[in-house]
Amino acid sequence: MNLERIEFCYHYTLGPEWQQQIVDAIGATLTDNKILTMPENIAHGGSIFLEVTPGLSVLLLDMTFKVPVAITRIPTDHQYYMVYFDIGDEITTHIIGNAVHRAGYHAKLGMGFMDCNTKGIIMPPVEQRSYSLRLFIQKDYLKELAASTRDLETNNLLFDESKNTLFFYSHIDSRSKILLSQLKEIDFNAASFDLKLKSTALYLLGYLVERASRFEPIINKLSDHDIEQIFKTSEYLLANLLEEFPGLQKMAEMAEMSVSKYKGLFKKILKDSPNQFFLNEKLLLAQQLLHSGNFSSVQEIAYELGYTSPNYFAKVYKNMFDVLPGEVLKNQPQ
Amino acid sequence: MKEVIHQYGVELDWVAGLAEGIGGYVEDNYIRIEDEVQQGNRYVLPINDHLTAFIIDVTYRQDVVFKLRNTRSDFVGLYFNLSEGGAIHILNDVTRSAERWGYNLGIFDADLNGDFQVKSGSTTYMIAIFIKKTALKQYLSQIPQHQQIIESIFNPELNTIVRFDRMSNHAWWLINELRKVPPKGPLYDIFITGTVYGLIADYMDQIINQEIIIEQVLPEDLGNIVKSQAYLIAHLEEAFPGIHFLATEASMSETKYKKLFKKISGISPNSFFLSNKLGYAKEMLETGNFTIGEIADKFGFFDSSHLIEQFKQTYGVPPKEYLSQL
Repeated sequence: MNLERIEFCYHYTLGPEWQQQIVDAIGATLTDNKILTMPENIAHGGSIFLEVTPGLSVLLLDMTFKVPVAITRIPTDHQYYMVYFDIGDEITTHIIGNAVHRAGYHAKLGMGFMDCNTKGIIMPPVEQRSYSLRLFIQKDYLKELAASTRDLETNNLLFDESKNTLFFYSHIDSRSKILLSQLKEIDFNAASFDLKLKSTALYLLGYLVERASRFEPIINKLSDHDIEQIFKTSEYLLANLLEEFPGLQKMAEMAEMSVSKYKGLFKKILKDSPNQFFLNEKLLLAQQLLHSGNFSSVQEIAYELGYTSPNYFAKVYKNMFDVLPGEVLKNQPQ
Repeated sequence: MKEVIHQYGVELDWVAGLAEGIGGYVEDNYIRIEDEVQQGNRYVLPINDHLTAFIIDVTYRQDVVFKLRNTRSDFVGLYFNLSEGGAIHILNDVTRSAERWGYNLGIFDADLNGDFQVKSGSTTYMIAIFIKKTALKQYLSQIPQHQQIIESIFNPELNTIVRFDRMSNHAWWLINELRKVPPKGPLYDIFITGTVYGLIADYMDQIINQEIIIEQVLPEDLGNIVKSQAYLIAHLEEAFPGIHFLATEASMSETKYKKLFKKISGISPNSFFLSNKLGYAKEMLETGNFTIGEIADKFGFFDSSHLIEQFKQTYGVPPKEYLSQL
């Protein structure tokens, strides 16, 4: 097997033109100017791209890479935003032998929003199906939609690129998750597929605008360095869900920022305070563990997650999911 | 009875005439009427050159008959109708109930002159989709089974497009999602457009999956199945009544009942009952006024965990996570 990583660069456009770059770079086949089929030696599967309305396009990718690749999305000065939805398990647990390995949990955030002027590199895992959807939204169009949800002054400030960067990462919201899991059941080739993809894209856009209107507006410019530093700390939290929360001081140090700057930027990008973010992720993992069948008591799970008091764990869990962990465990099929 | 003669079309030149006919006026694609006559909204949204949507959400204060007399013949109308309180459709002297519990989906060629009659006090929620015949032909030709006959379907000398049908449960929920959106502003347009594409797609699936055309079912049998659906919806808070009971009520054998229910609803009586239970449970959850335990109790789930499990299976997320990440 050839283990040398294939590298290529591309950028998206609101129209279908961008697809030609993939054809030229790796020899993908383009059908009807909307379906890209990957060459079998690189990946199995492909993508479908549709213009939905003036100002909105959608791309759905369903592929399994056979060789390592590094795909670089080059920043452009085009006037659009991108929204990523990665559909799949948001927490993956790797079980080695019979023991649940401590380092084996990894949580990821399924949704990202960014300006097309930021750079991105993707190194998709080999032999693993990746299913994701992207929306491309023209900047003026999104600004107009957002203006219907909040006061004009705040809206102008949010969309003023000299003062603010629009950027966030989070879990996919429930309503969008339901739409995406319905879409995943449908074959690309079904007669009604294009219409369903368009319908889904429009609803996702609507939900995004509604959801973003509830975010607290935090106005500031983000540098690529700021973003990297914040992600370094959120990645650290996601990879260490079994530990106790390390404390703001330590997190800010890791990000090489003052505590107040760190708190502000973290909340801007991840829409929660570091502490709350960590707690949510921990409890989502707890839910996963309760359903895994690998644990026979709540106490075991509480200790696994770094809680010293199983009662306290049960209380915070109930607070979030409205059910006691003991009840969840009791109802697991043996 | 008030009589309104009007027409529809993909182009919007009919809107002012309809507004005038019902004693209203047009403002930004909304038809506004004095509240004493009718209460609610009528909104027209041109989606693209071959597609226009018309949303009607009104309560009538008088009996009205709408006489559709199109002058254009280049389009087909898809009417998804959730009226309640006595709405009928009259075509060629045949009267059919055009309500939520009747033929709630009508597909009519622009050439057909039908009458739509509503009673005072009735409410109408309807999404009408006007689609150019050229575009509909394009959509339907994607269906493999239709490629052979597509030319004759759209040949006016051989065929008139007319169909009385029942919308799928999925279409019903799509429309319900739209009803939750405030009817104004650019977001409303996005949700309408999304719903319209979803409804056309759903109808294409219905055509592909339906083994028989509903018009070939005896009207009496159809009526009994529809009554049975209505019975299940009205008794969502109780346990599933059982096939034996339902079949007896519908005056059919159990085998015939199960088979017909599946053909008309697309799903089995049991799944129909459960998916509607969960749909209502989801709506109650969204209000934020009830705990999962209360909702489980209300809809006769064994306990919270049972509801949580079924919810997760249907929607892919457990209810509390659904709420916390709304």
